[in-house]
Amino acid sequence: MPSKLRLVLPHGLLLVATLFLYWAATRIQVNVGAGRIGPDAWPKAIIVFMGLLCAWEMARRLVMRRRDGAAPAIAPGAGAGDDPQSTPAMHAGKLVAGAGLVFAYVIAVPWLGFFVATVVFLAAFPWCGGMRRPVLTTALGLAGGLALVIVFMRVAYISLPLGEGPFRALSLALLSAIGVS
Amino acid sequence: MEILSLLATGFAQLFTPVNLMVLAAGLVLGMLVAVLPGLTLVMGVVLALPFTYKMGVAPALILLTAMYVSGTYGGAITAILFRIPGEPMDVPLIWDGYEMAKRGEAALALGWSLVAALVGGLVSAVVMVLLAKPVAGIALAFSTPEFFAIVFFGLASVVTLSGSSLANALISLCLGLLIATVGVDEVYGADRFTFGQPFLQDGIEFLLVMVGAYGIGEVLTRMSTGFAAPEGGAGQGTGRFRTAFPSLAQIFALKATFARSTATGIVVGVVPGAGATVSAFVAYGLESQYGKNRAALGSGAPEGIVAAKSAATASVGGALVPLLAMGIPGSGATAIILAAFLLHGIQPGPQVFVANAELVYTVFATVFAAVIGMCILGYFAIRPLCKVLDAPEAIVSAFVVVFCFVGAFAARNNLSDLNVIAAFGVLGFLFERYGFPIAPLVLGTILGPLAETNFMTTMVSFDNDWTVFFTRPISGGILAFAAAGLAWPLAKAVWKRVHDSRRAHARPG
Repeated sequence: MPSKLRLVLPHGLLLVATLFLYWAATRIQVNVGAGRIGPDAWPKAIIVFMGLLCAWEMARRLVMRRRDGAAPAIAPGAGAGDDPQSTPAMHAGKLVAGAGLVFAYVIAVPWLGFFVATVVFLAAFPWCGGMRRPVLTTALGLAGGLALVIVFMRVAYISLPLGEGPFRALSLALLSAIGVS
Repeated sequence: MEILSLLATGFAQLFTPVNLMVLAAGLVLGMLVAVLPGLTLVMGVVLALPFTYKMGVAPALILLTAMYVSGTYGGAITAILFRIPGEPMDVPLIWDGYEMAKRGEAALALGWSLVAALVGGLVSAVVMVLLAKPVAGIALAFSTPEFFAIVFFGLASVVTLSGSSLANALISLCLGLLIATVGVDEVYGADRFTFGQPFLQDGIEFLLVMVGAYGIGEVLTRMSTGFAAPEGGAGQGTGRFRTAFPSLAQIFALKATFARSTATGIVVGVVPGAGATVSAFVAYGLESQYGKNRAALGSGAPEGIVAAKSAATASVGGALVPLLAMGIPGSGATAIILAAFLLHGIQPGPQVFVANAELVYTVFATVFAAVIGMCILGYFAIRPLCKVLDAPEAIVSAFVVVFCFVGAFAARNNLSDLNVIAAFGVLGFLFERYGFPIAPLVLGTILGPLAETNFMTTMVSFDNDWTVFFTRPISGGILAFAAAGLAWPLAKAVWKRVHDSRRAHARPG
């Protein structure tokens, strides 16, 4: 990706988002008397301010880059993400696997139930994070899943998803075994 | 006299068997999260929040307050012994505490940090009790323009003290304020940004933003940079760890350092958005400029430990003053305590001293008890606490994710909320990656409804006359302070640029 584009990409995307949000704000139903401000005024004011900030930051970065030649533009007090030197190296594979597992867990919980989904997640997540000890992570998943079911469903009385079909039957059997009616 | 009587009631509330158990649990949990470098104090308090849903409001606040207090100490142990700051506020302790440890004075360094935490914590607790009610009394006379100005000041302070680029911090704040507008509008009942999705009509709970951006976002950030292996068995051989206290004469010799840094901690703590980390660094900076032994700072001087630690602990009492008296959180952790108040249907602010005085003084009593409990725990639990460092970060992170999901789900029993926190987790990661601070985003979602309601009510009451915010003396004054706070980093940046350019031109060749 060209460095100029990479420099302004986050703020550019946010600017596009503000344009979309402003369009959405114009569709808010306003039924107020003449001379009164409606429910769209507050969000519109924030969106306009945010859009101006994004545009200003993009312009500032481009101007600074031109002035400093090829050197990266860093304002005084700029964040870590502005400075490629300070940004730690990224393990993209691990990140994608980790984020994928988090989303898979969200999707799986209603189907598999809290216990089964959590056992699988607790075993798989450390594996994705580089901990290649299958026996340990599996044991940890089982023990951790059981401990969390006891803590949340037996002690804290939080009603968590039981799953569907055979997984529901398994969750109910487990709850009955730990004394939750 | 009335204050003492109310404080006695607070202690009576606290000293019931259940509440004492909750206090002890909060102290242990707070210290554990502070010891683990992968878990921050704020994230620890967030993870404890779901356990408070089914509790009464008093035990819930006792748990979170105790975690907040003891969380300011635990990281000192690992910073001094292993050069691993459990929390950002513990970084200055490396400069002197670890240097003392290298000289074979680890036990004494830990003793100094305990004494500093005890003095800073107790003095700030006394100041908090004395200050909170008068501040609330003043706030009682406020009308909606003044409340809008106070909320605006709180938001502006968070932005300016967020330690990142001002533009990014403001963008993060705007996004938080916009998220708070999603759903059915309270004043007119209009649908805003729901895009035809029924689950968005109830709005996006600040809890989901907070848990997703802080909790899941932090886990993804750590995963992207590679989880750290246990520090070569840092917790091994813990038998050699102990604490040795300095003598009374040694403590008395550092009275000016204690006074200066405790006062700094309280004052910085009161400023919304500052918190323990800023307090520790400011106090250390003051000590390095005005301290009697300033030349020795950084080479293992007790003054460095006392300055950073007493200021960090003193900031707790300071941060609770604006939270309880005006409903403005003074730090990340107090924002979560504010969330606990709101989840139990109580809005902190001047009215809380009238309607829920007993509860407020229970929180005060908890701070006193927690400071003392934290020091006892810090003295006796040093060996098992160090053992915790052997837990691999990948496993800790997996549990953090599950705790985040349970916390988000249990609030409304809504499966759609799980998707929302996963999405905010990705947003939190992207924010961290591209230098956008998360604190303004979270505070925008918490304080946004308060800001909008007070703004809209003022506009309706004063016939759309927006000048009322500036012409009323108190709101005008507060807004001027907020504007000065926002302008200060800009002015500093411009001055630095002019100064650098002059120096570059003056350089020969």
